[in-house]
Amino acid sequence: MGGLLSYFRGLFGSREMRILILGLDGAGKTTILYRLQVGEVVTTIPTIGFNVEQVQYKNLKFQVWDLGGQTSIRPYWRCYYSNTDAIIYVVDSADKERIGISKDELFHMLREEELQEAILVVLANKQDMAGCMSVAEVHQALGLDALKNRTFQIFKTSATKGEGLDQAMDWLANALQNRK
Amino acid sequence: MFTLGYGFYKYLVQKDEFCVLILGLDNAGKTTFLESAKTKFTKNYKSMHPSKITTTVGLNIGKIDVSGIRLNFWDLGGQLELQSLWDKYYAESHAIIYIVDSSDRGRIPESKETFDRMIASESLQGIPLLVLANKQDIPDCMGVRDVKPIFNKNAHLIGKRDCMVMPISALTGDGINEGICWLVDCIKRNVFIRPPRNNDDN
Repeated sequence: MGGLLSYFRGLFGSREMRILILGLDGAGKTTILYRLQVGEVVTTIPTIGFNVEQVQYKNLKFQVWDLGGQTSIRPYWRCYYSNTDAIIYVVDSADKERIGISKDELFHMLREEELQEAILVVLANKQDMAGCMSVAEVHQALGLDALKNRTFQIFKTSATKGEGLDQAMDWLANALQNRK
Repeated sequence: MFTLGYGFYKYLVQKDEFCVLILGLDNAGKTTFLESAKTKFTKNYKSMHPSKITTTVGLNIGKIDVSGIRLNFWDLGGQLELQSLWDKYYAESHAIIYIVDSSDRGRIPESKETFDRMIASESLQGIPLLVLANKQDIPDCMGVRDVKPIFNKNAHLIGKRDCMVMPISALTGDGINEGICWLVDCIKRNVFIRPPRNNDDN
């Protein structure tokens, strides 16, 4: 009986997934969050603290946390790690100078015990900018080939134009449903 | 005492782990193959519906236990710009599965070129190679008899390693068992050249 109930609950997908959006300051995390939630580009200011919104995608409900990315507040990311189902890591593809810092922060984060089971999606954002890095370049610069025990996927996006986000969310929704 | 017992228990249940790299051009069916293999070798595994599989740009991981060992699959993206990332994984692989879309005659030469570039790599010397002529469910595709001579042409590059061409259909699951069984035998035979991955350090 219980099994039957949980089967139906699984069908209608009621458990809320907890997702963190992380990345350096100015990568476009807040723009992505609101693009996902209301489908529009909002004017943002640098986040100090966090934004949290409930996002419905197909039949999945996500609780999406967008944490501030400035150097001084990055140490506080770890306070939000527990019970995280997925991480969306946003990279500014046009910012070649700071990609190294972005890499360090990413690896620092992935070492955390609490995130071992979390699914990783990397968004190579700002693909609309001229002279930005391609997906392969971002992959290389972030040193993602060192991740050999984790399923991840990297997408090119432009949050302001709304490109690539649907694909990324589609993949994430499938990956979360197939995780068991 | 507990530590001792736990160590012994771990020794008993731990399986040797081997890494298998799944390569091939984009749209050859690598991820579909991985899903299909997971379905065949994992109990109660609910595979992703084939229509939901999208282009991989990144890494998909799958683990299956078969005849006493554990295979750890790495499924990489196959697009041209992503092929430069493949060699990062060579040194740690114990076997390569190279998937060919047999229904796409136009891209066979490209696939063959990519294959040659891959096997020329120094770090893959002596590593078993399984070439899979995929999409055998599509009518009018190339049979294994047509595919085999193309990929066996460069015998000097293949050298002494085990190399096999097999027909499969990742979609229907035909031929997957045979392929994996062959690979497992080769990996076991090759264990002195490439010992299993040590689990303690990850």
